[in-house]
Amino acid sequence: MSYNFLTGRDYLTKRKQKEKKKLISVALGFPDLVFAANAIPVFPIRMEKFKINLYLMALNSATSLFGWDLTTKILGIARQLDFLKVVEKVLDDVVNSINDKYNEMYDLGVENGVPSDLCYGVNALYGMHKSRGSVLDANLNFAMRCGKWNKFSESLQSIVPNQIWVNIPPREAENEDKTLEIMVNNVKKAISELEGITGNYITDNSLKKQFRIGNQVKRFYKTILYEICSSDFYPCNPATFAEILALLTISFQDYNSNAQRYLENMSQLVTEMRERIKKGIGMDVSDMPRILIAPMFGGWEPETHEIIYELGGRALYADWEILGLIDEISVSENSDPVEDYARFLLDASKKGIGCDSDALTNSYLNFVKNLEIDGIIINQLFGCPSLSNSYEILKSKIKSELEVPAIVINFRKIGENVDVVKAQLRTYMEIFK
Amino acid sequence: MDDLEILSEYSLYLKEKKEEGKKVIGFIAHDNIPEELIDAAGFIPLRMIFAGNDDLMNASHDYLPPSTCAFAQSSIGLFSLKPSQFNFLDLLDYFIVSNHCVSDICASEIISKYFNIPRLNFYISYTKNDNSLKYFKLELIDLKQQLEKIRGSEIPSKDLRESILKYNKFKKRLLEINNLYMKGSKKLKIIQKALLFGPDFIQDLEQIIQEYKEKSPINQINSKDLVLTGCSIFINDYLIDLIEEAGGNVVFLDTWIGNHYSSQIIDDKLIDAKKDPLNLIIKRFHDNIYGDHSVPNYLEFKISQIEKIYHDYKLKTGKKLGVINHIIKFCDHISIMSAHLKNQLQEKGIRVLNLERDYSRANRGQLSTRIEAFMEML
Ligand code: SF4
Ligand code: SF4
Repeated sequence: MSYNFLTGRDYLTKRKQKEKKKLISVALGFPDLVFAANAIPVFPIRMEKFKINLYLMALNSATSLFGWDLTTKILGIARQLDFLKVVEKVLDDVVNSINDKYNEMYDLGVENGVPSDLCYGVNALYGMHKSRGSVLDANLNFAMRCGKWNKFSESLQSIVPNQIWVNIPPREAENEDKTLEIMVNNVKKAISELEGITGNYITDNSLKKQFRIGNQVKRFYKTILYEICSSDFYPCNPATFAEILALLTISFQDYNSNAQRYLENMSQLVTEMRERIKKGIGMDVSDMPRILIAPMFGGWEPETHEIIYELGGRALYADWEILGLIDEISVSENSDPVEDYARFLLDASKKGIGCDSDALTNSYLNFVKNLEIDGIIINQLFGCPSLSNSYEILKSKIKSELEVPAIVINFRKIGENVDVVKAQLRTYMEIFK
Repeated sequence: MDDLEILSEYSLYLKEKKEEGKKVIGFIAHDNIPEELIDAAGFIPLRMIFAGNDDLMNASHDYLPPSTCAFAQSSIGLFSLKPSQFNFLDLLDYFIVSNHCVSDICASEIISKYFNIPRLNFYISYTKNDNSLKYFKLELIDLKQQLEKIRGSEIPSKDLRESILKYNKFKKRLLEINNLYMKGSKKLKIIQKALLFGPDFIQDLEQIIQEYKEKSPINQINSKDLVLTGCSIFINDYLIDLIEEAGGNVVFLDTWIGNHYSSQIIDDKLIDAKKDPLNLIIKRFHDNIYGDHSVPNYLEFKISQIEKIYHDYKLKTGKKLGVINHIIKFCDHISIMSAHLKNQLQEKGIRVLNLERDYSRANRGQLSTRIEAFMEML
C-alpha cells in the first residue's frame, strides 16, 4: 500500500499516457463515481515524486515475486526481530516522506497567493494542484459545510477548468424524501458530466460493482479500527500502528487510484495483523491508554503519535469513521445505485459534514464510547472554524457524559509547534498514570 | 448622525415594535435570507451588521477558535459581553441559522445555543442549478412553516406579495442612494441605518435622494474615487474614516450591505396575484449571481461586475476608480479569492488593494499606511 502510494506518479503517468485514462482529482472519501466511470481518481499529492526507502523497494520486489505471505515467512524465519524493525523503519520513512511533501505543497500554496491564514489542508491542496494539476482532466468537488473548502475548490478552476460539483444538503427530517430526490438528481448531474469528460457510460452495474468493492474496503477499515485497535495486543508498536492509521486516512481518499488493488492491500493488511496477533508477534498494549487524535485530515502534527507512544499511550486516527465516510453504501440486486449513493452522502452529511455542530459532536461521542477511548486530543487547526468549533461543546460533553479527559493542541504547519505539543502532552498523559 | 445615535434610535424602534407584539428574528448579515417572509409573518427581521473591537473578539474565544473571521467572533462577543448600546439584542425572539459560510453557521449556532435564542433553520445550496432551486423551494416552504407555527396561522400569499413589493421599493431606493455622488462615509451611514430599519425607512431615503438630486453635480468632491468590494464595513467600524483621511472616497459599495443587497430586486411585472410568491423569491435567488455564497462562478461574475462598474464610471466622470477589496481576517470566502481577484483585475488595468484586517485597535496605524500608499498609486 505504501509502495503504491509513493509510486503513484509513475502509475498515473502510465495509465494516462498508455491507456488514455482520464485523471480526476478527488479528496475526502469520494472516489466511487470516478472509478465507476472507468477513470482514475487521484488525491493530487500522489502525482508528486517521493523519496522511496530502499527496503520498501526491496520488499515490494520480493512480494511481487513470492507473494506477501511467503516474503514475510522467509524474512520472518530468517530474522524476525529485524524484520519488524524494518517494517517500522519503512513506515516511518513513508510517513515522513509524505509529510515533507505536504509541507512543500503548503509552501507552494502560500507562494502562489493562498492566504497563509487558511487551514493547512486547503493550502497544501492548492499547492498540489498548482504543482501538477495541469495534467488533470477534471476535478470532482463535493460542496458541503465548509465555505473555505467550497471557495478553494472554485479557485482551482484556473488550473483545472473542468469542474464537477455535487452539492450535499443537510437532511431535514421534515422533507427527507424530497431531499433525497434532489440529492439523487445532484448525483445524476455529476454522473452525466463525468460521462461527458471520460466518454464512458456509468451504468448501474459499474456503480454497484464499485460500491461492493468500496464496501469491502470499508469493512476492512472498520475491522482495523474496531477489532485491532481495541485488542490488547498490537501487531507492531503503537507508534507504527498509528502511522498505518495515518496512511489509511490519506490513501483512503483515492484508494491509491486502483480500487481492486487497494482492496487486496487492505485484505492483506488485516490478515497480516490478525496473524501476528495470533502468533504473539508485536506488542502487549493492554496497559496503554487509547488516545484519539482528531480531526487530522486537514493537517496535523505527525510527531504527536510518537510523543504519545513515548509517554506510554497509543494514538488512534479515525476521521473518516467519525465523519461517516466509511459507512457502507447499501447495494442490493434490485436497488437503484444512484439512490443508494445519494442516501450515503446525505447520511454522511447528517453525521458531521453538514451544517450541524451538534451532529458532529455526537459522532465524536459515539466513537469515543464505542471504542472505549480513554482520552481525546482535539487538533485545533489554525484557520479552521468548522471542525474545531465543536471543541468546547465536545470537551464539556465528553467530561460530563463520558468522563474522558480531553485536551486541545494547536496546529498550523508540520514541525512548527512540536515542543509546545510535547510539553502539553507530557502534562496531559500524567492523568493516565 | 453617529453610530451611537443610530443604535440608540434603533433600540427605541425595536422596543416599540415589541410593545406592538411583534417578534424579532435575527440573522447574520449576508444575502439570500428571505426577509419578506419574516415581514409577511408580521415579524421584524434584525440583520446583524455590527463591527467589532478587541474586547468583542476576545469574548468569543470561549466558543470559537481565534482563527475564525473577526466579524463572526464579534457577533458572538456582542451576546457574550452585552455592551449597553446593544441591549436591544435582548429583544431577539429567534435566530436564523443559515450557511452563507461556515463562520456564519458556527456563529449562528453558538448565538442560538449558548444565549438561549431558539433557532430557525434555513439552508442554502452552494451550487446554482435546477436542483438547487428545488432545494431552495423546500427550504422556503420549511421556513414559512416554522414562521407560521410561531404566529399560529398561515401566512397569506397576498401578504407575502405585499412584502415583496415593499422590499422591492426599499431596495430600489437603496440602489439610487448607492449610485448618488456623495461622501462615502455619509452614504455608508444611510445604508447602514436603512438596513436596520428596513422599509420603514423608505420615506427618509426618498427625502435624501430628493435633496441630493437637487444639489449634487458630479465631481463635486475632490477625491480619489473607489469602489469597496469584499466584506462590508459594518456599524461601529472606523475603516471608511481611514479611507477618507487618506484622500479616498468610496463612491460605490459592492458588498453585502451595499449592492449585493439592493440589487436583488424582483421585477414588478412578475408580481402577479395568480402566481405563488415563493417562486419570486426563488427567482431572485437564481438571479443573484454576484453573491459570494455560490460556487463555482462567483469570481468570474464578480470580476465582470467590477469591470462594468469601473468602465461605466469612467464613461460618466472620466475618472478611474480604484478598488479596495476589504477582507475581514479569516473570512472564509473573500480571503481565499483575494489574490485571484486582484491579479485578474490588475491584468485589466484596474488597481486593487487587498486590505486584510481584523477589528483590533492596534491595526489602525498599519491600515492607514497601506491605504495612504494605495492612494498615492492611484
Ligand atoms: S473544514 Fe476546516 S480543515 Fe476542512 S477545509 Fe474547512 S477550514 Fe479546512
Ligand atoms: S467568514 Fe466572511 S462571509 Fe463568513 S461571516 Fe465572516 S465575514 Fe461573513
